[in-house]
Amino acid sequence: MSLKCLSCLLLFSVLLISGCGDNSEDKIKDIGQRSVKIVATTGMITDMVKNVGGERVSVTGLMGPGVDPHLYKASAGDVSRMREADIIFYNGLHLEGAMAELFEKMQSQKMTVAVTEGIAEEKLLSPPKFEGAHDPHVWFDVSLWMETAKTVRDALIDLDSASAALYKSNAGAYLEELKILHEYVVSRASEVSQEQRVLITAHDAFNYFGRAYGFDVRGLQGISTATEAGTADVRDLSSFIVERRIPAIFVESSVPRRTIEAVQAAVKSRGFDVKIGGELYSDAMGNPETPEGKYTGMVRHNIDTIVNALRGE
Amino acid sequence: MSGYDKNKKAVEVTDLTVAYREKPVLWDIDLNVPSGILMAIVGPNGAGKTTLLKSILGLIKPAAGQVLIYGRPYEEQRHTVGYVPQRGSVDWDFPTSVLDVVMMGRYGALGWIRRPGKKERLVAMEALRKVSMDNYAHRQISQLSGGQQQRVFLARALVQDASIYFMDEPFQGVDAKTERAIISLLKELRSAGKTVVVVHHDLQTVPEYFDWVTLLNVRSIASGPVDDVFNEDNLRLAYGGLVAFKSHEHREQVKN
Amino acid sequence: MGLGEILHNLVFDYTLRTVALGSGVLGVVSGALGAFAVLRRQSLLGDSVSHTALPGIAIAFLLTGAKSPLVMIIGAAVAGWAGTLLVMGIIKTTRIKSDSALGLVLSVFFGFGLVLLTFIQKMPNARQSGLETFLFGQATALMERDVIVMAVLGALAVITMLILWKEFKILSFDPEYGVTQGFPMRTVEVILTTVLVIAIVVGLQTVGVVLMSAMVVAPAAAARQWTDRLGLMIFLAALFGAIAGISGAVISSLTLRLPTGPTIVLCISAIVLVSMMLAPNRGLFWNWIRRWYNRRLLTLNAVLADMYELAKVHDDPSHAHPAATIEAMSYRTGGVRRSLDALEESGLVQRSRMDEWALTPKGMAEAEKVIKSMEVKT
Repeated sequence: MSLKCLSCLLLFSVLLISGCGDNSEDKIKDIGQRSVKIVATTGMITDMVKNVGGERVSVTGLMGPGVDPHLYKASAGDVSRMREADIIFYNGLHLEGAMAELFEKMQSQKMTVAVTEGIAEEKLLSPPKFEGAHDPHVWFDVSLWMETAKTVRDALIDLDSASAALYKSNAGAYLEELKILHEYVVSRASEVSQEQRVLITAHDAFNYFGRAYGFDVRGLQGISTATEAGTADVRDLSSFIVERRIPAIFVESSVPRRTIEAVQAAVKSRGFDVKIGGELYSDAMGNPETPEGKYTGMVRHNIDTIVNALRGE
Repeated sequence: MSGYDKNKKAVEVTDLTVAYREKPVLWDIDLNVPSGILMAIVGPNGAGKTTLLKSILGLIKPAAGQVLIYGRPYEEQRHTVGYVPQRGSVDWDFPTSVLDVVMMGRYGALGWIRRPGKKERLVAMEALRKVSMDNYAHRQISQLSGGQQQRVFLARALVQDASIYFMDEPFQGVDAKTERAIISLLKELRSAGKTVVVVHHDLQTVPEYFDWVTLLNVRSIASGPVDDVFNEDNLRLAYGGLVAFKSHEHREQVKN
Repeated sequence: MGLGEILHNLVFDYTLRTVALGSGVLGVVSGALGAFAVLRRQSLLGDSVSHTALPGIAIAFLLTGAKSPLVMIIGAAVAGWAGTLLVMGIIKTTRIKSDSALGLVLSVFFGFGLVLLTFIQKMPNARQSGLETFLFGQATALMERDVIVMAVLGALAVITMLILWKEFKILSFDPEYGVTQGFPMRTVEVILTTVLVIAIVVGLQTVGVVLMSAMVVAPAAAARQWTDRLGLMIFLAALFGAIAGISGAVISSLTLRLPTGPTIVLCISAIVLVSMMLAPNRGLFWNWIRRWYNRRLLTLNAVLADMYELAKVHDDPSHAHPAATIEAMSYRTGGVRRSLDALEESGLVQRSRMDEWALTPKGMAEAEKVIKSMEVKT
């Protein structure tokens, strides 16, 4: 192919592709006649949006069960789904570490909502090692998660005011469910004595959980799974476990087991036997067909697993 | 000329053809090397001289042809064939000593896994003495001059105690002293009844050093005793008129 | 943390001991076997095998769904080998040379591996297998059983190398001659490559795919600076590899959140740098010193010779000349004053009045010697 021919073809393709930009204005106009197309990132957000949006919405979740949002890189397919969506919901607070630029770009084209934006700053945790950024794992405190539900409801009403009443009533019902859930967790937590309330997991995902329900929380890796744990981290953590005679530690579904198993081996070498109390759903939920595939099911599973293991059952 | 046995064929090559991407490098070569002579193989660049050697030694797979050593296929006669490759075929910066390289000539006899021991060391030192390199036995090969490198390769072939030796341009780029030492060694080998086939680059010394000569340029132009074959017509055929040839009389003078 | 405490931890802390042992084994095996790759001018092969292993790891996971490192090591080995065979095939059947073929296969396989990883990240429970940790390694997750597997495989590789020592030697130095000696050099090459693949694959968990090539090439490069003997070179390569491995493990244990794999690579790089600078004979540092010394000597001799010439013109050899005159005779005035001072210290010249210099009798004799040595021998 001659050079001239090639450059013509190139120019033509560029024009064609850029011409395929979405006409946002037209799309929004007819929103009343069709279902709202939504793209959500984590499973927890997807679940929430489905509950608040009800039949009015068609939600695509990008991150399935067992996927780590800290490291998730959007594929070309994801980007095109986002382009076609009417509204994008993500966690924010840098949970989706690899997608920050993408959200910024989408922001200029359509409603891109961080569900945590409604939470007042004083309610957020800012661990000292994380250099001024906030801990994004807010969903482990059910009361905080209730706030995000309100943000989602308000965003949907903003976009599709015609169905405001539906959204309000769905959100109301969901918030009731969450309130009951919160109480359940509190009550189960109280079954464990205060000194026994120590939760050790693969990464620092459970700080909000700890604050809300009175647990002392330690993770092997930091807030983000992108940082590798060092031998000093393993040594410190295993010393801590032996000192406090903690009966069980936990693996997470979205993080490799091997790091926690390494901690267990280190503890064993010090003559103490710590069990792996079970698998927790930290940054991702379970399989969609199972109860753990829903937010409520996931939270229940977590607290049940934790309490049963710490009580020695 | 020494009494060579015309009836005993040390090397017999028939119909050897080697092609590289449909370009023939050697075409339909027939070569007979009687036992107990010094033969030179000469020809212009790209004539296929090195290719011929490597094909005989099984290093290159020919498109057609057969090689017999004392009447048997080469693969059966490896132990009786010695090889001195071109100096440039290895990286002399390799971390090893002169003695080590010479002992490589015994690897074939040792077979798999067995390491060279005292016996091999003695044989190697003896070979080094023959090429006047025994003082350099533990020298790193990177510190050798061109002539010294050539002598090491020679010694390596000598320890094989072969009946036939193939050498690829052993006189290329060596000093006069080394050249004299090498030719004297070759003549010694011939006296002991060995056969030596040498790819040679210097036409002027062919009559002085060698008994037989093969003129090669993709095809075998001529092959036989130097007196019969090494003449102006054949050289012109082989080199295509690129050669200045000393007259017959002058050659006689040089020989005497 | 004091050295005593570090040593104590090295022996008694399970985690540090395990990681250090694993890294040490990695260093020894990849250092020793990598040396042969380096000697055969195939350093890029280490890089290629490491990178081509990535899709093998991903496919092993896809096929078996298993999270055990051993399965993925096998996948890595198969892919690494497949890549190498492909490279050899390309070299044999096309006009592409070995460095281009290696680079080509390396990038294609690695790219394919990354695509697979992106695809796999959507699958449930994929994260648990720790596939992404193979990119840069996760030494901290090493457990005793992992180290045992590494040690057994590594020992297999090293013992094979020791047994086939002379075969590997002749393969690396003069493979054609080896053929004429009756050795199937192709087979020996296959064995060497296999052993190298094992060495590389063993280390992937610790240092990761991206950086493993450093552990294959750097120890041998450093060792070459120190010796001209093959046996010693291989031993030193293994030693340097082990030192880098253990130091890397120790150093990364001293601070929180320092990744072990890259730290090990930094250690071996430091060793290479030191070797390049300070090794006797080849060390750059010594070369510079030698050159500087020679330059000084040359200037000294030149000044002596110039003064001799000056003295010859006058009948009185002790006639002093100002420094400027002497400087005018040499190409570079820079070293003249310094040389005059040095010569004065050795008693070869003397200062008469300020800035006027003459040869002493000793200096005359020395100058004659220098001039004689500079004459061309006929």
